[in-house]
Amino acid sequence: MGEYLLEIQDLKTYFKVRAGKVRAVDGVSFAIKPGEKLGVVGESGCGKSVTALSIMRLLPQPPGEIAGGSVLFEGQDLLDLPESAMRKIRGGKIGMIFQDPMTCLNPTMTVGNQIGEALRIHLKLSKNEAQKRAISLLEQVGIPAASERINSYPHQFSGGMRQRVVIAIALACNPKLLIADEPTTALDVTVQAQILDLINGVCSEFGTAVILITHDLGVVAGMTDRIVVMYAGKVVETATTDELFVNPRHPYTLGLLSSVPRVDEVRHSQLRTIEGAPPDLTNPPPGCPFMPRCAFARAICRTMPPLEVLPGQADHLKACWVDVTDPKEQAYAEKRRQTRIEKMLAATNGHAASSQAVAEEK
Amino acid sequence: MDISEQLNATNVTGEEVEPFLELTPALVQKRRSQARIIFDRFLRNRAAIGGAVFLILLFIFCWFGPLFWRIDPNVIDVTNVAAQQAPPSLTHPLGTDDVGRDTLARALAGGRVSLSVGLLSMLLAIIFGVGIGSFAGYYGGAVDNILMRFTDVILAVPLYLLLFVLSASFTDGTPKSVVILIAIFGWTYAARLVRGEFLSLKEREYILASRTIGAKNFRLMFRHMLPNAAGPIIVNATLLIGVNIILESVMSYFGFGIKPPDASWGYMISVGQGLFAVDPWLVLVPGFLIFATVLSFNLVGDGLRDALDPHMTER
Repeated sequence: MGEYLLEIQDLKTYFKVRAGKVRAVDGVSFAIKPGEKLGVVGESGCGKSVTALSIMRLLPQPPGEIAGGSVLFEGQDLLDLPESAMRKIRGGKIGMIFQDPMTCLNPTMTVGNQIGEALRIHLKLSKNEAQKRAISLLEQVGIPAASERINSYPHQFSGGMRQRVVIAIALACNPKLLIADEPTTALDVTVQAQILDLINGVCSEFGTAVILITHDLGVVAGMTDRIVVMYAGKVVETATTDELFVNPRHPYTLGLLSSVPRVDEVRHSQLRTIEGAPPDLTNPPPGCPFMPRCAFARAICRTMPPLEVLPGQADHLKACWVDVTDPKEQAYAEKRRQTRIEKMLAATNGHAASSQAVAEEK
Repeated sequence: MDISEQLNATNVTGEEVEPFLELTPALVQKRRSQARIIFDRFLRNRAAIGGAVFLILLFIFCWFGPLFWRIDPNVIDVTNVAAQQAPPSLTHPLGTDDVGRDTLARALAGGRVSLSVGLLSMLLAIIFGVGIGSFAGYYGGAVDNILMRFTDVILAVPLYLLLFVLSASFTDGTPKSVVILIAIFGWTYAARLVRGEFLSLKEREYILASRTIGAKNFRLMFRHMLPNAAGPIIVNATLLIGVNIILESVMSYFGFGIKPPDASWGYMISVGQGLFAVDPWLVLVPGFLIFATVLSFNLVGDGLRDALDPHMTER
């Protein structure tokens, strides 16, 4: 399969804790082509970041442990590489951006030195050459007066500026793949768009493939070519971005999409949510992990559905027994959802009273 | 300055305009560097400044004083009875001891020995302690266990007893041997401190981030983590000088340290002790010097602790 830059097959990452094994990533497979932009979406704790760290082989071990699967990058399995070869890949071929730019820059080093570091490690540049390249990188990520700012320390930058620096560090050696782990979560909403534009622009320019990890569907919508939806350590649906937004086929994706608040919604109408919380991944029960929260659930869901291609659409895969487009199923699910919400409201009396007040106001 | 020139240039149309305000130094808002902020904070601590001034003066006197005070500290004047145990006078400002050696000259010579022994043994101990502590903290697990149990063993041994025993057999009374002996026992606190710092630093996200660009263990340890632990290490080092000076004095006092006739403060006290009733100067001068020097190092150490602590509120 020379077609793909990175191909993850059946990756399993477990954490050994006192209570047993936490199956943080449990049989994840996806692939990314050179220059492609892939979004990985899911709730907190569904294994997105652990997948990223498993690719980089930077899990804290112990307690983390890659229990199986393979991560093929340019044809070689990263999980088999010795540490020294892996170090060449990190920063050289795969760059990574973290969530919080406030904590992922070293406070005692100038940003110039931090950007230059990757260059000096991988390209063996001299200090001067590294500084020169660092200046041009800073300019590329849109930091004004780069030649002066190069000697500043991280605390002299704002959050958005720091994230630009982090991007410059990750892209310093012109990697083939950039893993961005929630790159905008810690930022101001106005800055978020700028940073996404920047990642998008710079990566298109360099031809870098991007894995964008986020829990925000709005973030992936405008920027990615394809989306992988994860739930409880498993891939539940994957499709091209346009297809996924128009034609979601997994109840979880459906739930995610309908829980995005819209500007054109009726005021005071209740926000749709996915009831319940993600399951505990320590010794999970067999079957579909989403079953306890799923309005479409039925007896067959006690066995895990395989991730299968939709008939007629090679790019669209889902792991669900139910056809969510069937109107009969939809009506049934809607009824179950209503009764569930009523039960919940009845259980919390105070809450019920307040929602009544809202209803009267309407 | 560029801006002011540009703005002035746009006004060359001949109309009378208010001249653009020059960017005088008072108007240029300059960002203080991190070192400057720390230095300013240190300057506000009066006690620490007092200690620092005393130490600077002491260093100048000890090293440059002998250029002007040309009496040999080891010259014995047995022929002249009047010159023995003399009270302070013009020829001997701090008097002389029982064999007629000039106390001022000896105090300066002893200061050189005590200060350099204190500083050098601190340096050795810190280098050793930082090495051990960073390996233990960074690698954790078995490495940590072995190194820290080794540290505990050293800490558990009664220090003075072992110093005396070892100095009797291993040192030859030169400052160098005393430095090494003190350093062998001085590194333990530094090692524990650095280990603790490294344990917390290695979990920081920027360490993970520099792993993602392919940094090796040594780079992570000494370029990324060590500078972040510099504050506590500097404070510990400063306090350690004081401790080492005391150790050196105690050893010399009991005759295990610097070998006579070379002067050292501890040895001067032990000589003057028997004559205290006759000539208290022989004890008071070196005693005061030890006291003031150690106190000053402690005050400076405390001042640095406050100045280097980033959580200190800006006063």
